[in-house]
Amino acid sequence: MNTMNHRERIITVYLFAVSLIVLYCNSILAAEAPGPQRVVSLAPSVTETLFALGFGDRLVGVTTYCDYPPEARRLPKIGGFMSPSLEAIVDKKPDVVIGVNTATDPAKAREMERLGLKVNLISVASLNDILAGIKSVARLMGSSEAGEKLVLKIERQFSQVKKRVAPAPRRSTLLVVGLRPLVAVGGKNYIDELITLAGGDNIAGNAAQPWLNLPDEYVVAKAPQVIIEAGMGSERAAPAQHWGDLKSIPAVKEERVFSYPSDKILRPGPRVGEGLEEIARMVHPECFAESKPGLKRRNGCEGSRP
Amino acid sequence: MAVKVLDRRKMIWVNGLLLALLVLSIVGCTLLGPVRLDLSQALQNIFSANPDAEILFRARLPRVLLGVAIGGGMAACGVVLQALLRNPLACPQMIGVSGGASLGGILGLIFFPHWLLPIAGGLLGEISWVPLAAFLGALLSMVLIYRFSLFHGRLHPYHLLLSGVIFNAFIGAVIIFLNSIVDFYQAQGLLFWLMGSLSTRAYLTVGFIWAYIVLGFLWLWTKGLSLNLITLGEEAAMQLGVETGALQRQIFVASSLMIGAMVSVSGMIGFVGLMIPHVMRLVVGSDHRLLLPASFLAGGIFLCWADTLARILLTPAELPVGIITAFFGGPFFIFLLYRDGAKKLAL
Repeated sequence: MNTMNHRERIITVYLFAVSLIVLYCNSILAAEAPGPQRVVSLAPSVTETLFALGFGDRLVGVTTYCDYPPEARRLPKIGGFMSPSLEAIVDKKPDVVIGVNTATDPAKAREMERLGLKVNLISVASLNDILAGIKSVARLMGSSEAGEKLVLKIERQFSQVKKRVAPAPRRSTLLVVGLRPLVAVGGKNYIDELITLAGGDNIAGNAAQPWLNLPDEYVVAKAPQVIIEAGMGSERAAPAQHWGDLKSIPAVKEERVFSYPSDKILRPGPRVGEGLEEIARMVHPECFAESKPGLKRRNGCEGSRP
Repeated sequence: MAVKVLDRRKMIWVNGLLLALLVLSIVGCTLLGPVRLDLSQALQNIFSANPDAEILFRARLPRVLLGVAIGGGMAACGVVLQALLRNPLACPQMIGVSGGASLGGILGLIFFPHWLLPIAGGLLGEISWVPLAAFLGALLSMVLIYRFSLFHGRLHPYHLLLSGVIFNAFIGAVIIFLNSIVDFYQAQGLLFWLMGSLSTRAYLTVGFIWAYIVLGFLWLWTKGLSLNLITLGEEAAMQLGVETGALQRQIFVASSLMIGAMVSVSGMIGFVGLMIPHVMRLVVGSDHRLLLPASFLAGGIFLCWADTLARILLTPAELPVGIITAFFGGPFFIFLLYRDGAKKLAL
């Protein structure tokens, strides 16, 4: 007892008390997690982002198109993607409503704001926009780190695919989401960037529109080496049948016409990295040959690898 | 004046000129497009995998030929409908059959977009079920509208017009409802289909439509004189010996069959059927024996060029052809109206 004098004892008790207070305050703060608690999502990609950031439990309303992850299907619906119901949204008493600016009508957003809702619209026009949008949603939810982590993961997926296809020569590519009419990915569309990252060269990439209706003769003249039909509800055999009579198109001659309906490609959300790999596997299958035995290795990828 | 003797020289002169223009247009439109074409290359190896030949003979020619048939058919149907309904606003889009065809096509696109029907056991190729569903929709709606408008064995123009307009409004509501419950991307496809397009590579379909439209047109042409009398008024026509009741029924069925087939393969391409008949009436007069073939040829020329512009204007994007027909046709029509005054517009 003599070793600890009176002053030391006071300091110890003081420090103990301070640490108790700090701990107590912390626990109060922890119980009231930062950021909005009730969130309504107006787009499937936003729903996916919130789940990927670990905030899926704060969603109180999603669109009828929000089907990923599977838990999202069980959440209350607030209407369609282009036509959400204002009443249903207000009824959920959300702290914040998050949507994408291409789908949500600005007039509707203003109307929601007039009703006292906090509305946050993110842009998904480019890959940069998508990543910035993920970060801003994370910040909004009160966890910037979660956003940084998720974006880092996606960027790592991008660089892995880029490294894979780097040795291969670029292949001219056409990516469509419908055959009659032929609706293709144009320029100023994040999927155009995905095609480029996958080692492809979008034949409609010079178009001013993000989506456009292409005439057949343009496709014949541009002679794409790969044709991908990524639209939902397309049948496996349909694209090959559709292009079968245009034998001069290299993609038709070399049997690189793919039917691959994929949300990972079509949704500007946290799975774009996986979407990129899907596109790359179609544009440059030879670069992913070891994971798929039996595929013939062609020029390009094996050239750089002994 | 409408019953005056047919001026044979004018007939041959006008139609000969228009026919020559039509042939020139087919050649011109086939040579024009958003991509450059090496004609000598294209004609060398037609049957090998030759991009120039594929552009010329697969991507362009069937499309141009389809445009000519649809343009001509729409204009001819517009002429007879304006006479039959005695209404200058009558057009193929108005009589309900087009709505029925649209609904049939939409249902086909939703439920079996990729089904193919082999023709002659697949020897002649295959055609898609979507236009067949659309044609079925057209036939059903034709029967319905016919029943609605038939009173005491007679088709009354006002009943026909009203039931057509109301039927189309109803079908429009059904289509918008279907469009709002299908998948987002599918909805886009449906909207494009509704806007109309002449894009095709199927000579088989083009051949069918050509045979069908030309037969329909020739039959309507034989009724030219009676149509002249009908426009004088039903009573006058009856006094002059026209069986108006039977004629009205026949013309309604014939034009409905033509419109159903046209909407089935190309969707709703508006304005041709409304505008070309009026323009040609201002140019060649209102004698249906001359007006019908002149409108048929002019409609073909007009739609052929409109579709070429649709392919070229926003390269590489393709515009819906209906935008072009309205954009260029509207002001031209107003110009003719302004120049000639409203006096000739009367039927």
